[in-house]
Amino acid sequence: MKVLTRHSSRSRHFFKKENRTRYVIPILGTPEKNKECFALRIVVCIKQVPDVAEIRIDEIKHTLIRSGVPSILNPFDEFAVEEALKVRESFGGNVTAISMGPLQAKEALYKCLAMGIDRAILLSDSKFAGADTWATARTLAMTIQKIGFYLVICGMKAVDGETCQVGPQVAELLDIPHVSYVKRLDVNVDGKSLVAERMTEQGHQVVRSSIPCLLTASKALNLPRLPTLINQMAAKKKIIEIFTAEDIGAQKEQVGLPGSRTHVLKVYTPDLSTGKGKIVSGDDLDSAITQLLELFKKDGITQ
Amino acid sequence: MNSTKSSGVWIVGEQKDGQLAAVTLELLTIGRLIANSLKQQLTVIIIGNNLEYVVEILREYGADRIVLVSGEVVEHFIPEVHSNSIAALVAKNSPSIILFPATYDGRDVAARLSAKLGVGLAADCTDLSVDEQGRFIQIRPAFGGNLMAVITQPVTTPQLATLRPHITKPAKSLEKIEPVVERTAAIGLSKLYDKAILKTVREVTEEYGNLDEAEVVIGVGRGLGNVANLKMVNQLATLLNAAVGGSRGVVDAGWLPHNQQIGLTGRVISPKMYLALGISGAVQHLVGVRTAKEIVAVNIDAQAPIFKVATYGIVGDLTIVLPTLIKQLESKISTREAAVQGKA
Repeated sequence: MKVLTRHSSRSRHFFKKENRTRYVIPILGTPEKNKECFALRIVVCIKQVPDVAEIRIDEIKHTLIRSGVPSILNPFDEFAVEEALKVRESFGGNVTAISMGPLQAKEALYKCLAMGIDRAILLSDSKFAGADTWATARTLAMTIQKIGFYLVICGMKAVDGETCQVGPQVAELLDIPHVSYVKRLDVNVDGKSLVAERMTEQGHQVVRSSIPCLLTASKALNLPRLPTLINQMAAKKKIIEIFTAEDIGAQKEQVGLPGSRTHVLKVYTPDLSTGKGKIVSGDDLDSAITQLLELFKKDGITQ
Repeated sequence: MNSTKSSGVWIVGEQKDGQLAAVTLELLTIGRLIANSLKQQLTVIIIGNNLEYVVEILREYGADRIVLVSGEVVEHFIPEVHSNSIAALVAKNSPSIILFPATYDGRDVAARLSAKLGVGLAADCTDLSVDEQGRFIQIRPAFGGNLMAVITQPVTTPQLATLRPHITKPAKSLEKIEPVVERTAAIGLSKLYDKAILKTVREVTEEYGNLDEAEVVIGVGRGLGNVANLKMVNQLATLLNAAVGGSRGVVDAGWLPHNQQIGLTGRVISPKMYLALGISGAVQHLVGVRTAKEIVAVNIDAQAPIFKVATYGIVGDLTIVLPTLIKQLESKISTREAAVQGKA
């Protein structure tokens, strides 16, 4: 019991109280007025991922062929960036994108800059390597805490890991509420609360939450803008700030592999049973359908 | 941290509007096996109001202890309230393992709880077991199901995992266990913030059914030809009691609502049978159906990649195959009905 108290107290006081950023709820004015307003900082967490659609399996060795697979901005993060930009367009403030990854991950941040964000931070340090979702969430939360925030928006999942976990974990570490799988967002005119529609298996929930709040974006949220060629070229000239573990005040054992709670024992490619099925021609339709009906019966789908 | 001191396998069930979700029983079945291997107690936690009905159902699936968490604050699902309430229970009993369903709600609660407790969480597992060394082993897909990762959590307890629905069949317990039933009050939100559910809307269109719950799912692709052919698909769906989903192409074309999209940027489903009609089988789509038990494909192109993963396939024109299939199914049903009436 003692042990568990230690856990919870550790994460609850994860950020020393005196270090906590005070939330200043802004008096909303014109977007221009709020441009430099710290309290209207919208943080977007993004990730560079391998283009999953391009991944091929070596069918003999049963391994993943990753060489030559292009890296892209996680598709769900595009919806997050777009929504952040839309909030900025109506309320002012500024949008900061943060990402954890190797230096190559700059490419994904350049794309965000081309879309129109104000500031890009790459958390890049060998100490961050090998992080599981908990260590990742912790690293992101420490960074967000350091730079200050009003809204935090993430993609609902990354297409490589597909955990849907990091967003809610970051929210818990920041001690703020979260709304996941958001398909519609309305920030209240007073800037103190929001109403969001959250997807569920059966339909959706309409949720009201105070701000600061963390949201995870679903595909139905918006249509991300395509950066123009001029903006893409201009983005390449912008600065991407590099933060190390020291910059966010993280100890070696808090982040990366040492800070991770889950350990991967091994990975393997599943047997995809390719080419084992029975494929018949539709020219002999009666026989083809009879076999299908038998299959339905065998599986208990029809009587 | 000290795993020798913590004991107990917990599962957090899901229930809505007076109905226990099927995944709760699936979790119980897996939880029982794990608890037996570790020689630990199995606890089920159900959060909500008017829960008395669940006790009768859960009793048959072999839980040692049932904890019902109720209160005004859990009238609607709020993940912060659920994770607060479970954290309070953890502080009292220190379990070794907690399992959640990998549903929209289950993932939210598990993630917040893991951050709150500072422990690990394996998401979206497709298999959970205990190895010879007594380690809790979690297997989960990554890279769209192209890779499976075997995970352990050696450093912290409780070890958290979310399990995909439909992975296992619920099995009633063979030995009769009389569970201890405890009732406790839910813990509300942190005072730092405010959150409320204004409305819960069911929008699963009767027309297309629920992709996550249906045993048979029909997926349509652009190969269907035109949107008018959806009528036939719906007819077939009624006959097979199936839900209807589609590829990104048909959803983007507006043939089906967003909710019904299957694949990388849509739903990941694991039905008993997936019937792919006019779907070519791009990787982005296949990752959404990889865990289906059986894949049946109809496509005019014999080279379509869907045939590589199908257990049964018909190479043919859908506008001919579909009406014939419907006709045969209908005649089968009407002869059966006639036979039944004849007997009566």
